[in-house]
Amino acid sequence: MKNNTESHNEVVHETHIVSYKEHVSTLVALLLLTIMTVSISVFGANLRSLTVATAMLIATVKVIVVAYYFMHLKFDKKIYTWLVLLVVVLFLSFLILMSIEYLNR
Amino acid sequence: MEHHSGLVLPNSGHNRDAEASKLGMWLFLFTEFLLFGGLFIVYMVYRMLNPEAFLTASYQLNVTMGAINTVVLLLSSMTIAMSITAIQLGNSKRSIQFLIFTVAASLVFLVIKYFEWSAKIHHGLFPGMDVFNQLPHGESLFFYLYFFMTGLHALHIIIGAIFIIVVIFRTKNGQLNANNYSHTENAGLYWHLVDLIWIYLFPLFYLIH
Amino acid sequence: MAATTELNFFQEKKGLFSWIFSVDHKRIALLYLYAILGFFLVGVTLGILMRLELLNPGKDLMEAKTYNQVFTMHGVIMIFLFIIPSIPAVFGNFFLPILLGTDDVSFPRLNLLSWWIYIIGALMALSTLLFGDGPADTGWTFYAPYSVRTGTNVTMSVLAAFVLGFSSILTGLNFIVTIHRLRTPGMTFFKMPLFAWALYATSWIQLLATPIIGITLMMIVAERVLGVGLFDPAIGGDPILYQHLFWIYSHPAVYIMALPAFGIISEILPTFTHRTIFGYKAIAFSSLAIAFVGYFVWGHHMFTAGMSGAARIVFSIMTFLVAIPTAIKVFNWVATLYKGSIDVQPPLLYALGFIFQFMIGGLSGLVLGALATDVHLHDTYFVVGHFHYVMFGGTGFAFFGALHYWYPKIWGRMYNKAVANVAFVIFFIGFNMLYFPMLISGLMGMPRRYYDYLPEFHLPNMISTYGSWILATGLILMLWNLIAGFFGPKPETGRNYWGGITLEWQTLSPPPLQNFDKMPEIPKGGPYDFENNY
Repeated sequence: MKNNTESHNEVVHETHIVSYKEHVSTLVALLLLTIMTVSISVFGANLRSLTVATAMLIATVKVIVVAYYFMHLKFDKKIYTWLVLLVVVLFLSFLILMSIEYLNR
Repeated sequence: MEHHSGLVLPNSGHNRDAEASKLGMWLFLFTEFLLFGGLFIVYMVYRMLNPEAFLTASYQLNVTMGAINTVVLLLSSMTIAMSITAIQLGNSKRSIQFLIFTVAASLVFLVIKYFEWSAKIHHGLFPGMDVFNQLPHGESLFFYLYFFMTGLHALHIIIGAIFIIVVIFRTKNGQLNANNYSHTENAGLYWHLVDLIWIYLFPLFYLIH
Repeated sequence: MAATTELNFFQEKKGLFSWIFSVDHKRIALLYLYAILGFFLVGVTLGILMRLELLNPGKDLMEAKTYNQVFTMHGVIMIFLFIIPSIPAVFGNFFLPILLGTDDVSFPRLNLLSWWIYIIGALMALSTLLFGDGPADTGWTFYAPYSVRTGTNVTMSVLAAFVLGFSSILTGLNFIVTIHRLRTPGMTFFKMPLFAWALYATSWIQLLATPIIGITLMMIVAERVLGVGLFDPAIGGDPILYQHLFWIYSHPAVYIMALPAFGIISEILPTFTHRTIFGYKAIAFSSLAIAFVGYFVWGHHMFTAGMSGAARIVFSIMTFLVAIPTAIKVFNWVATLYKGSIDVQPPLLYALGFIFQFMIGGLSGLVLGALATDVHLHDTYFVVGHFHYVMFGGTGFAFFGALHYWYPKIWGRMYNKAVANVAFVIFFIGFNMLYFPMLISGLMGMPRRYYDYLPEFHLPNMISTYGSWILATGLILMLWNLIAGFFGPKPETGRNYWGGITLEWQTLSPPPLQNFDKMPEIPKGGPYDFENNY
């Protein structure tokens, strides 16, 4: 991040151009995950809390795929990934503290 | 301005800085994420307090419509990512086509959402309506959160679509091109965030049976 | 000298529109300054009216409900309009780019937008005085369920807080990007002045905490509009959840108010002791540590609200943890004074006043953070005394210290230092006379937020009210002295009035539009290394 001395109208940073094909494969992966989560919910009923856990897990995998490929985290400077992780940790801490509070009421 | 010493500082706030613009967008996405985060906290707490009621209420939502909307949003996420690829390759015309497809997808999403909402409102499930007021405690909270969160999400869809339309016009008159596409990128990031929120909203409301 | 022909940023353009639509960070900073001082004086007036009501037991001046509205308005103005934006929006805007050796923030237009949003939010908040069913009477915390039941104009106040939050977020976003992207070549993170570090930590809190209050306030608005809401026990809601969400933001917000003040103190002390700051990295990292741990202590505002025992213990422990980095700072400041060649000037007096009062505020905070004692002191005047010591005795004093410190740089003029010293002494005595008795009456059990009290609390209340008059006298004298500095002959303030070595002292006073007339030189050996630079 430091010592950037780029002047006007000049794109200095190396950009990685993601090909159309890569985007299509990302979409296919996301669609497969969607089919998976819907079918678990519709056909694999009565798993109760386990269903919720798997649904959240699959959603999280989807989110990582979107962030990593569509949102270019994979190709950007690492600081973006770190910042995203920071925010996620912060939010998870909120959830944990709230669970401590409400599970012990 | 002949009184100026003519000093140009190397890292000036008036330079065009694509990296700064991207960082700024990411920071803004964090605030958007935490805006919804507050609602996710409320959802978690109330679900913890009323697990059975949330389960019963979720059966009233239409999984098919939710699933179709998920696919629509994923598809539009891909097209906006492709429009960035296109503009990077210097193909503004194709970039615009992908963006138009994305806006069209947002409209499809909103139309489906409209039918879903009107069906629920028709059944009197909107907060303050008669049926809603007679629901058991947890179920009314479920529907309240459903309307609040999907409503806020729909608002973000609209804002995102407007953002993309602006980008379409700016690409058309050449302001955005292969050397300067940070607005396209930022519109893409914003649109992906809207998608990410939906990826969580969909299972939390439709699939928790 | 070629430099004398340089126009400063005041002379560059003229007219009202060149100010209110300026994208120059220095002009925006001054726009904030004038607005914030204006709102501060309104808040002070309300505070003095409250003290007047409390001079004697029983009703003197206003009805109970009016009193409730007055303390709500006092809180809303002081928190949202004065203290949150005060140091970042005024001195952060003015000096962050200069301290980093650049000519503006990363997004100058966004900066202007954030001032406009601030003004719109402020007008919305103040409009409740004139329109609707009167200003809110809920306290600045807008606790549900009362905030959704009361007939006063809570909706507008809440919307105002929402809008003001946006302004705060945008300023924070701008500063983070500026610090990442616009440091002058050679200025690494660890060569930044500590004020920049403090602003960096603050900005992260503004960015990541404010959205939570935004959405929470929207839930209150939805509840008032729809007549039924998420915190409404009638549909199974939990009012305590509102308090959780409120404090998830509002406790970190305490550090939005305090951290920039720490930064100011870390700037003032080296300049007037002529030596490097003690423990540069410790101070820098402690800012980040406070910002981070500060997110996880919100529950200590709600120990008596009906939280679970487990959560109360966790929050109490976290509260003690956050005291550690704060204490690290105080020790480092005191160590900086040790064996320095101390030059007693008005800004240093404010810094010393800050350390003294912030220590009282911090230690009384530990009393409140401890579970057992808080049960007794919750919602007493002890709490009121505590947070005024931290916020006003701390951040308020740092704000005025910064004003005295950078006055010659911003305007290229000077106030009367003897008068400034006298004003400080009066201000300091008045402040302590006003708030110290509150700690005592709180310990005696006097509850807060009533317009009346039992006769046994008469003495401390009387002393408090007299103190408020002394404080007001000191404040008026200080402001008069600062304003008087604009008139009369213009003294030669030079580039470096106080002999500081951070970058702002290398440029002209007032600075030119592009901040520097020659390339700034980074001091060798760190931002406060006086030995190698003098």
